[in-house]
Amino acid sequence: MTVHTPIEAGDRGIPRWALGLTLAFFLAGGGYFASNLDGENPPIGGGTASSGGGAAALAIMKGAGCQACHGSDLKGQATFPSLHGVKNGPVSANLAQLGTDHPEDWANIWIAGTDPAVSDPTLRGGMPAFGAKLTAEEIAAVVEYLKTLP
Amino acid sequence: MSPTSYHCSTPPFHARAPARIGQSDEAIEEAGDPSRSVGYNAAGFAPETTRSVPQEALRAPMAVNPKKLRPYDQPPKVRAPIIPDGPDAAATLYLVAAAIWLTIGTGIGMLWAAEQILPNQLAFSLEVPLLSGTLTVALNPATVASGFWNATLYGWLGNAGLGAILFITPRLLGRRLVDEQMATASAALWNVGMLAGLVAVYMPRLAGSGPLTEFPLPVDGVLLLALLLVNDTFWRTLLVARDRVAYISIWYFGVALAAFTGLYAVGTLAPLLNLPDVGSALANAFYGRAVETLWVTGVAVGVLYYIVPRATGNRLYSSGVAMLGWVSWAGLATLGTLGGLVDTSIPFAVTQLGNAATLMLVVPAFLAIANLALSIRGRWTMILSPGTVPLAVVALSFLGATSLLEAIGALGSVRGLVSGTEWPVGVRLFAYFGTATLAMLALADHAFPRLLRRDWGTSPLIHVTLWGTFAGTALAGLALIGGGIVHGRLVVGGAAVDAIDGTLIWFRGAAGAGIGLLALGGLAALLNLFLMYTSGRLADYALPIDAAPAAVGG
Repeated sequence: MTVHTPIEAGDRGIPRWALGLTLAFFLAGGGYFASNLDGENPPIGGGTASSGGGAAALAIMKGAGCQACHGSDLKGQATFPSLHGVKNGPVSANLAQLGTDHPEDWANIWIAGTDPAVSDPTLRGGMPAFGAKLTAEEIAAVVEYLKTLP
Repeated sequence: MSPTSYHCSTPPFHARAPARIGQSDEAIEEAGDPSRSVGYNAAGFAPETTRSVPQEALRAPMAVNPKKLRPYDQPPKVRAPIIPDGPDAAATLYLVAAAIWLTIGTGIGMLWAAEQILPNQLAFSLEVPLLSGTLTVALNPATVASGFWNATLYGWLGNAGLGAILFITPRLLGRRLVDEQMATASAALWNVGMLAGLVAVYMPRLAGSGPLTEFPLPVDGVLLLALLLVNDTFWRTLLVARDRVAYISIWYFGVALAAFTGLYAVGTLAPLLNLPDVGSALANAFYGRAVETLWVTGVAVGVLYYIVPRATGNRLYSSGVAMLGWVSWAGLATLGTLGGLVDTSIPFAVTQLGNAATLMLVVPAFLAIANLALSIRGRWTMILSPGTVPLAVVALSFLGATSLLEAIGALGSVRGLVSGTEWPVGVRLFAYFGTATLAMLALADHAFPRLLRRDWGTSPLIHVTLWGTFAGTALAGLALIGGGIVHGRLVVGGAAVDAIDGTLIWFRGAAGAGIGLLALGGLAALLNLFLMYTSGRLADYALPIDAAPAAVGG
């Protein structure tokens, strides 16, 4: 009982069609690279900026480091919830009461984190309080932007 | 029987009995076997005999007539080692675990698809009281998505990929794995770590951050250790058999395994570096892209290069084309990872270099497809009967589709439209479940009879696996890709959020149905494996042993 069964391979070098295909795509890729060097990358997570008027909010969020936890596309990652759908109210159970008490500005209160109702670290589950870092206007701009996300 | 009687100077019973069983009593007596009178292993208590017994005979293997054995004469049982060390032990453990993880992963995938449609209704969290506070278990779209992709990438494709490497390498090199026990231990570590990691994903306090790097540090450490053990076995086996020219699959495995281990090590150690937020996000983006092009695709192509010639019995069309494909893949896949680095802090030229490389990755994909398609020449009828060849052919089709979609997505205009939409998820689904999953299922179809020494039954479950996986991946992937295009267009057109949601729900529903079919295919694969193990006809196949002079089976 044995096993070694080398797979035979045709030793025909590299056929012309293979060389041609490779060269054609390398030329196309090189040409694409050479002709597309002018430009600037958007900020990480900027894919959602095109949803309108979000550039300023994205800049604020980038400075605050929101994407580090909520993902570059703000759709959440690991156990950090998605920020899409904020317009529908809070998703997390720990925010249900807040959403009921403050249906319009629950997100502003939550992000600021200075209100005694939401300042308990156990309740916040690792979410920083941005009240001391961002102004109320900046938080409002962020919330307005988040409400535009599907 | 006194305990000391186990320590007779003769070889143990099991080693010698087969050679003597069947001899007549007379023949045994002629050999002067003392066990005739006092039991098989009582040489020290042999009675006086009328004939002198040569000393050589006393040391020679003793014969036993099993009909005359008394209960207390049963030989000591040879205990199997705690960690199996037989040929293919590691590959068997990895591949069986992979089949289970496929079912788990696609099961979570169904929940993930449902969460895309009903995110609020299917979200809840549970507080578990502990001695030091409470532990929150959260089930929401983010945690379920993490569970789905982690179970798929590390549970299913990780086990299947490592199992494939450990199954194929000894067969191509004509040598047993160096230190099979270590490889088997790595399989146990990998799966224990995976289970712990999957549980931790649902616990905010324990989980890390970043897509595909959510596992907590201790779990990452265990998984990294398992990867290092596999590397050790693989490279040492390669070193021992360096006199043999390695087949192209080995080249793919080498790069894929080294890249996966390196990436995982960086992903594990990155949190310790306290990277800034943007740096951490960029590292995660780089990791996700690199692990797909270097590990998932690399192992899949390596497996296909092994499976197609093996299953068809044909020779590989061209080693030159295979090597050209490997060189271009290794270079371009590495450069292509730069395309994931999108931020103002990254020079635009660097990102564009990655995008151009992604565009050119079509080359190695199509070289592999053409090379293997030409290798099937003359045996095309094999794709009509479900089994290894059709699974491999469908995997090759998805390889072509994935590379084309990746290339299209790397174009600036398309990237601007579909970035942040469902498009990238659909393409990733094609790569994970189209190319890699079908390649691994093809390998499973070929490998399990050889590992479990049984033939597949005649149940129609293989049809369910093939068509469920194919149709499910195609439906879910196309729905997400189409949804991404529509999403992008609606956003550019300034559509209201509710209108976007209302339109996309149909695409998400179709994707959910596709994931359901995928789950059905995975379940059928596991069930088929169970039926084969429990009721499959016994079959004999070649084993990977050293210094094999001839060539059969495999």
